[in-house]
Amino acid sequence: MKSTRVFATMLSLALLLSLWGLPAKADGLAIFAGKSGKIDIAGGTAHIPVMQEAAKRIMRAHPAIRITIAGGGSGVGVQKVGEGLVAIGNTGRALTAAEVAKYGLKSYPFAIDGVAVVLHPNNPVSALTHQQVQEIFAGRITNWKQLGGRDAAIHPYTRDEASGTREVFWEILLKKGPLARGANVVASNGAMKTAIAGDPSGIGYVSIGHIDRTVKAPSLDGVHPSQENAETGKYPVIRKLYMNTKGDAKGVVADFIRYIQGPEGAAITASHGFIPTTR
Amino acid sequence: MPTASMNSTRGGRGDALVAALLFCASGLCVLSVAAILAFLAWFCLPLLSWRELSAVLTWRWEPFGGHFGILPMVVGSLALALSALLLAWPLGLGLTLFIHGLGPRVLARPLLFVVRLMTGVPTVVYGLVAAIGLVPLVRGALSGSGFCWLTTALMLALLALPTIVLVLDGQLALVAPRLRLTAAALGLTRAQELLRLALPMSGRGLRTAATLGFARALGDTLLPLMLSGNAAQPPHSLLDSLRALTAHIALVVATDSQSAAYGSLFACGLLLFGVSFLVNLGLRRLSRGADVSALAWLPPGRLAERLAVAFSWFAALIVPAALALLLGFLLLRGGGTLGLTLFFGDTPPLDAMLRGAPVFDGLWPACLGSLWLVGLSACLAVPLGVAGGIHLSEAATGRAGRLAVFCVDLLAGVPSILMGLFGFALILLLRRGFWPGANTCLLLSALCLAMLVLPYVVGATRASLQALPEELRLTCAALGLPRWRAVFRVLLPSAGRGVLGGVVLAIGRAAEDTAVIMLTGVVAGAGNPGGLTDKFEALPFSIYYLAAEYQSPEELNQAFGAALVLLCLTALLSGAVRRLRQGLTRRWESGGARA
Repeated sequence: MKSTRVFATMLSLALLLSLWGLPAKADGLAIFAGKSGKIDIAGGTAHIPVMQEAAKRIMRAHPAIRITIAGGGSGVGVQKVGEGLVAIGNTGRALTAAEVAKYGLKSYPFAIDGVAVVLHPNNPVSALTHQQVQEIFAGRITNWKQLGGRDAAIHPYTRDEASGTREVFWEILLKKGPLARGANVVASNGAMKTAIAGDPSGIGYVSIGHIDRTVKAPSLDGVHPSQENAETGKYPVIRKLYMNTKGDAKGVVADFIRYIQGPEGAAITASHGFIPTTR
Repeated sequence: MPTASMNSTRGGRGDALVAALLFCASGLCVLSVAAILAFLAWFCLPLLSWRELSAVLTWRWEPFGGHFGILPMVVGSLALALSALLLAWPLGLGLTLFIHGLGPRVLARPLLFVVRLMTGVPTVVYGLVAAIGLVPLVRGALSGSGFCWLTTALMLALLALPTIVLVLDGQLALVAPRLRLTAAALGLTRAQELLRLALPMSGRGLRTAATLGFARALGDTLLPLMLSGNAAQPPHSLLDSLRALTAHIALVVATDSQSAAYGSLFACGLLLFGVSFLVNLGLRRLSRGADVSALAWLPPGRLAERLAVAFSWFAALIVPAALALLLGFLLLRGGGTLGLTLFFGDTPPLDAMLRGAPVFDGLWPACLGSLWLVGLSACLAVPLGVAGGIHLSEAATGRAGRLAVFCVDLLAGVPSILMGLFGFALILLLRRGFWPGANTCLLLSALCLAMLVLPYVVGATRASLQALPEELRLTCAALGLPRWRAVFRVLLPSAGRGVLGGVVLAIGRAAEDTAVIMLTGVVAGAGNPGGLTDKFEALPFSIYYLAAEYQSPEELNQAFGAALVLLCLTALLSGAVRRLRQGLTRRWESGGARA
């Protein structure tokens, strides 16, 4: 294959040009010493930044451990771990009794997280009531002017049915009310943030841990959606983030869960904007 | 199956063995089509009761409320494919006419080159550029969120255009020379000759182009998934969000596998399969149909001719302009990122390449993953495809032969998402049955990709063998060469470049496909590929993932860098195909067979 050869040549040329030092090892990783194995993770997309950071640290220090991370949403997490396709299925909501019974799943919470409405940072609207949010997502309020904003049509964004974030938002904030069928559907928390950051008239909802300066979270009924308010219970739309395994976690999978729930995992969790659960 | 040793004098038993092996190869092609169909049908069975069926054939998709209607997606798919065709077909026709004489002759070759270049652009690259470039443009200039019917249809039209142009170009190249004398005798201008004589005689090509363009637009997964907004509703305007069947499968596949939602996916799959079946039947009828067509009707008078010329200029300007914009945007955004950091992030490149140090924030694992994937699927598809092609060309006759050819054509038309769905369902089935350890992995992806590209190899092998001059076969027979020895020693080497062209085409297709691997084992983060049964990263999926999920401008730039890398790769491959084919034609046209 000609192109492969060209590609290889390109890379080996590039290879001559650079050398960097090895990264330093972290301490909490000692439990993985001398172990090997693979951990496939899928599901909840709010979890991804934390999982990626942990995987990065573990695989750096212990290359014999392979960790793969996929998204899909909480529903995917339940299905994949239930069918045995992955070792850890993440969910952004508690499992239902039916799910636990059907697949024999075991849940390991590691973070508290809120779900907040997000807008484009340039949107002048900065406070909404839960009734307003319900009306917007039901398709009854359709222009930002009705909310004191610009004269522009509202573009609602929602998540696919596998999303735990969607479920929490729908159950707690929308009170299981209607969700406009014309809303754009995005597949993850990250994609929701990206979509809203790009659409000046957009409105969506994400895990509070994912909120940064590219989007704006308006206050809900006068309460600022922050993790602090979520922890104290002042902000009502909250859930825990879980890792789930089929039966009890064993081997490196158990180590991974211990690592995430331990002090170093808690630090990673906190640094990505979530409140770590203390066991 | 005809007995292979009938007309051979020596090595009868060996010949029979070879014949049996080849028969198995083309049998496998038929089997894979049958397997896909059987799978879709099997999983659709629970839907067959009237209650279930009436639940699926409704307008509401709300799985939580127990509504599993797929009609909005059916409408979405048809709306997208038809509107894309409505855009692409006239443009393609205008462009082809321009190339064949409505425009200056000097521009013909460069334009055809541009069109060929377009065939090599990976879908996911179109998707990325449109998601970042076109969507905000539509949002700003019109209204709505920009993720809509219009955006998707525009990009699908661009995707289907090269198919349409290449078919029409082939047809006109066939028809026009025969009409030249007539036209000269009638004193027609070049434009009149094309519009009044050649075009009405090209009905077959016009219809074939439309059918293939429609199938291309309907079968695509990535563009609807990335651009259409995916709201499960029938659209009311061009600026509405809508969902295609293909994107629906990709979005919903990982749902509870015993639910009605999961079952309804196979109904979507069966529908898509049905459409590609019909398209195939249609093409078959077309190839026997009449040449004269009402499609090419043009009102009499000079004005109509002038308008046609003006339109063909328009087409000849806008298509290259669109491609130039796209590539320019890509270069602008991705050009600056090309460097070691793009591939290796903050890992030392030497460590990564020689010692397999894990790379994060870089494309290296995705590159390796793609390389593995393409290599593996080529290993599976090439021997099988070549053998199948030989069998179909040299031994398959009668009804069985026709059936096999039909199956291969059908396989070529099956939307790639169906291969993915097949792979995913296969794993779930295997896990419940005799192989509980089965999982989505690199090997599964390669297997499904191999099924996707198999028809390219079979088709190319068969076509290049059949294109060989008859004298070659006669010479072999006269020299008393046993049949299969003649095939392997003389015919196959003579057709080598054509076969190789098919192989390279297959590799290019395998490198760019995203829909198949999405359902069969690719993940966003895995590090370097570990083994055949591990999950992996791949370039096209990285682009898709980053286009939707970039968390910083750097990550978005990385997506553009990856797109540039993938584009260069597929452009190189399609360039190679072209060189190989040209070489083959020249060789036989000049009669210089030395094999």
